[in-house]
Amino acid sequence: IGLPTNSAQECQNLEVERQRRLERIKQKQSQLQELILQQIAFKNLVQRNRQSEQQTNRPPPPNSVIHLPFIIVNTSKKTVIDCSISNDKFEYLFNFDSMFEIHDDIEVLKRMGMACGLEVGKCSPEDLKIARSLVPKALEPYVTEMAKGPISNVYITGGSSSN
Amino acid sequence: DGASVARQKELQREVRHLVEAEEELDQLVSRSNLQLKLLTEEPLNQRLGYVRCQDLRRSFDSPDQLVMVVRAPPETQMQVSEPSEGYQVSLKSSLGPIDVFLCPDSSSGP
Repeated sequence: IGLPTNSAQECQNLEVERQRRLERIKQKQSQLQELILQQIAFKNLVQRNRQSEQQTNRPPPPNSVIHLPFIIVNTSKKTVIDCSISNDKFEYLFNFDSMFEIHDDIEVLKRMGMACGLEVGKCSPEDLKIARSLVPKALEPYVTEMAKGPISNVYITGGSSSN
Repeated sequence: DGASVARQKELQREVRHLVEAEEELDQLVSRSNLQLKLLTEEPLNQRLGYVRCQDLRRSFDSPDQLVMVVRAPPETQMQVSEPSEGYQVSLKSSLGPIDVFLCPDSSSGP
């Protein structure tokens, strides 16, 4: 095209660089969001358990609780599960005759409402207030952003967005 | 060409801006990782970091669902087969035994 080669070429390079960075930023933002959710969910869980132990004046019986970290494998009750276990319990092999799902403990905490609805961007003003109080100040703008709904575009917090 | 030079300047500014934004994100991510680690490793939090069986039942609205809990040492490897090759999960630990149990039914306890 009629542009000086060096400038046109340079623009193209910059364009590529820009796209690459935008992609990486997007990825890092979702990583940060997940960390924020985990922080909030874990703090809420601990708080809830502390309060209920104070109310009942004793910890729950050990066999009625499951400590983090754990994962969940769930399937229909009709599913036939064939399980082999090594003697030392270091190795397991499960065969299911139907579909199953695997979830991590954070997913469980989200379903319990411990992430204040932030994971789906459904957050009451009250929830948002609690959520913001559970993260360090530098993360508060991200929490507010997450409360507005799923994020599709790159957003940039802090003073740098004004220039 | 003036337009192209202007475009180049504009892009340079944007890229600089993105560099800063990414650096800020990197910092926040590594700080959050550390905070989460400290939070979950704190002994009192470790004791209080539990869910109840009824939480699990409620989260997976159970009547027709079987909920298995797996507690495994760090670095345990989990492999899931391709759906086309059947439904298979294998767990392999190197640091200690793996615990697998069923979440008791509501009929069999609180």
